Parts: sequence; C-alpha cells; structure tokens
Amino acid sequence: MKNYLKLVNFEFNRIAKLFAVLLGITFVMQMIGVIVKSRQYLNIVNENIFEAMMSKTQFLEQVGQLSFIDIARSIWFTAPIAICAAGIGFYIFLIWYRDWIGKNTFAYRLLMLPTSRLNIFYAKITTILMMIIGLVAFQLILIPIEMSIMKAMVPDEFRNDLNVKELVVSLPQLNLMIGSSIGEFFLYYGSGFLVVSILFTSIILERSFGWKGIVAGVSYSALAIAVWLLPLFLHEFVLNGFFYPMELLILEIIMGLIVLTASIWFSRFLLMKKITV
Amino acid sequence: MIEVIEVEKSYGRKKILKGISFTAKKGEITCLIGMNGVGKTTVLNAIMALTPINKGKILIDGSPLDKTGLEKITFIPDTITMLPKMTIAEAMEFMNDFYTYWNQERANELLGFFRLNRKDRISSLSKGNAAKVNLMLGLALDVDYVLMDEPFSGIDMFSREEITNVFTSHLIENRAVIITTHEVGDIEHLIDKVVLLDDGLVTKEFSAEEARENEGKSVIDVMREVYQ
Repeated sequence: MKNYLKLVNFEFNRIAKLFAVLLGITFVMQMIGVIVKSRQYLNIVNENIFEAMMSKTQFLEQVGQLSFIDIARSIWFTAPIAICAAGIGFYIFLIWYRDWIGKNTFAYRLLMLPTSRLNIFYAKITTILMMIIGLVAFQLILIPIEMSIMKAMVPDEFRNDLNVKELVVSLPQLNLMIGSSIGEFFLYYGSGFLVVSILFTSIILERSFGWKGIVAGVSYSALAIAVWLLPLFLHEFVLNGFFYPMELLILEIIMGLIVLTASIWFSRFLLMKKITV
Repeated sequence: MIEVIEVEKSYGRKKILKGISFTAKKGEITCLIGMNGVGKTTVLNAIMALTPINKGKILIDGSPLDKTGLEKITFIPDTITMLPKMTIAEAMEFMNDFYTYWNQERANELLGFFRLNRKDRISSLSKGNAAKVNLMLGLALDVDYVLMDEPFSGIDMFSREEITNVFTSHLIENRAVIITTHEVGDIEHLIDKVVLLDDGLVTKEFSAEEARENEGKSVIDVMREVYQ
C-alpha cells in the first residue's frame, strides 16, 4: 500500500505540468469566452435598443435574455473541455509508452521496484482518474465564477440566471462530465475507469508481444467491451426489451465488474510473466 | 547461488538462447562473454523477469524466480534507469523511498568514489558519468547478487579504470556478480569464472584462475581458441 501511494505521488508529479497546462487553458479560454459572449450580447443590446430604438420588451421578445447556456454552448467553453478530453486520451497511452520509448528506459526501474508490478498498473490508473476528477472539480469551481462575471457584465433584466445543476442538466457535455445525480456520476466514472483498464491491458499486451500484441490488444478490447455490453445487446436486439431498467443496470454493473476483474488479473499476469523491456 | 538451467528464448522465429546453463556463486565474479547479439543481455533480462523465457528454469538460492528472489538481486543495465530530468540527488531519493534495503552510506561512498555531483541532472551526464551513476544506484542496494550489463560499453579509458576499481573494493565483496561484456581486457584479472556464449549456447565454462595456472592461458587466449 505504501509503495502504491508512493508510486501514485511519483506518477502525479510527472503529470503536474500537463495538468497545470490543461487547467490554465480551461481557465483562460472559458474566462475569455464569458467576457466575449457577454460583450457580444451587450453590443446587440446597444445596437437594437440605443441605436435602432427598439423597446426593451420588443428586444427581449425577439432576441431573448442571455443565459449561461449560450456561453457554455460556445466554442470558448466547449473547446477547452475537448482539449482536456483529448489530453487525457493521449495521456492514457503516454503514461505507459514514455517509460519504454526513448533513450532513458525508466521501465527497467519501474519493473525492478521491490513491489508488486500490479501496483504500477494501479498507480497509473489512479493518476488518470485523479487527473479527470481534478479537471472536473476545477470546472465545477469555475462555473460559479464565470456566472458571477456574466452577472457583473449583463444587467438583471437581460439575463436568465441558472444554477449549476440546471446548467449541467441542460448541457449534454456537462451532463456527461458531471452527471445529474450521484448515481449517474458513479455510473459514468465507473464506465470510464473500466474503459481505461481495458486500454491499459491492451497496451500491456502490445508491450509484451509487439506487433502480435497490437492485434491481441485490439481483439481483447473488442471482446471485453462486447462482454460488458452483452446484456444491453440482448435487451435491445434479442429479447425485445425484456429487462426492467433497474435489472439492466444491475446486469451491466455485474458485467462491468467481471470485465474489470478480468482486465486486472490479465494485466497482472502479463506484467509478471510476459512483459518485455 | 543463481542457477540458469537450460534456458531457451526466441524473438519471433529467431532463437536467441538455445538451452543455456550456468551458475553464479556468492563471492565470485562470473563473466558472460560473447559477440554482439549472442544473447548476453537477454540472459540478464530473463534473470530479472524483464523478458519471459520459453523453456528452462532460473533459480535464486534454490527457489524459482519470485518477488523474494528478485529482491536479492540488483540489475545495472547498460542504459540509465532514471528519468532524464532528475538530478543525481533526486535519483538517490527515489531509490531511498522505494527500497528498504537502500544503503545511503554506501551510496555516499560511491558518489565520492566516482566524484559525482549530486546536483547534476541525469540528462546532462556524459556516458561515462551516466554509467557511474547507474553503478552507484545499483551497488548501493544491500543485495546478494549484482548483474551488470556491459558496464564499459562506449566509455572512456579513465572512467573504465574507475569502474574497474569498484570490483577490487569492499563494495563488491561477498556478492555474486554476473557481468556481461565483449571488452574483457579491463577486468580480465578480476574475473573468477568465464562463460563463453556463441550461437545461443554455452560453448565453454571455465575458471579463469585455473586456465591461468594450469594451462598458462589468459581469458583472451581461451576466447581466441573458441571464437577463431
């Protein structure tokens, strides 16, 4: 346990710069977005009410109030989320390959550490999870600040104020990131954890068997996802909606746990018996 | 004792090791000698479970390779095993964090012995100094077995001398050392046992002292007989 925690700390320190860059991009782009979108709206207000002499009521009927949803749907808000998602996706591979590829093969040291090699797997997956949760938490802190900036810039009568929960429910990308309930949060992040563990197993397969490992990794990923989603396929295409939603959810959780256990067990076997430096 | 018994290893269709057997005892320096690509590094990687073997057994003190066995061995590869951005001090701290059997006193002694600067970054080290850091990190572990892969490869004469001096010091005493090299000249007088590899097999295994005393031959003389 102690070595696992040390490895997590070590891995997290290695991503600290990338993590800080992603936080920085999110902060800067979204702040600019709030200011730009609020100013654009205020310009429209000025053009219509003060220059075209439209009444406030007429304007609100035709153009409507500015809602934070309008800002959150803009490229300023969604692009950093996409960049962070891409960054994490890239890092899922980099977190393994950087230790093997290049002049300095740190993989030697990692695999020779006096700890279970599975701790390397756990530490890397924990780091990815910490990175994701860190970015989501940062986004949740940022949203109220961005809302306050919008409130400070746009007068009350031109604003449609929402709270964070209403915003999350209204926007699919935020709903997927945060979930509209605690159950959804665990479901989304459990699924994400499972997908990362399947990818990790595939990467370890590639590191163990080279080109053959790529084929094995892709096949393993396809098989694992098929097994995981089997109840859903059966429900949709074979059994014509046989299960109640709760039954289907429980079956998916069970299948997910089976696939997760298999992935961890298989990764342990590969790390102990098949991995090559 | 490390026992390598009938070990076979293939990379794809190419069979690198075709049934290699040898032993390495405590207090002895065993040298694996062979031309490039003969499988010397593969043998060391196999002992450390860094590459799987296809057949055969590797025993550490009579037991098959496992976590306990591996903790009795330190492996010093021919490439630096620390992150380039680390300083030597940070690399030492890393080792101290993870290895309960890291000997800080010995590490400091080796640091002085090799005249290394703790503040130097790994990425800024010359090949000779990188080899010394590797050696320092490996030898500062309190273990019974030391595996060294080509410690003299591509480094200057003075660094080679410094590294050679380690073999005659108390830093190696009572440990079993397995060293791979194709440049045997520097350490010929230090070797206890020689294992000559060719075409994936052990072609000759002999005591360097016996060859010298009984046959009047140096290790290089025996190598010439075998390889030419």
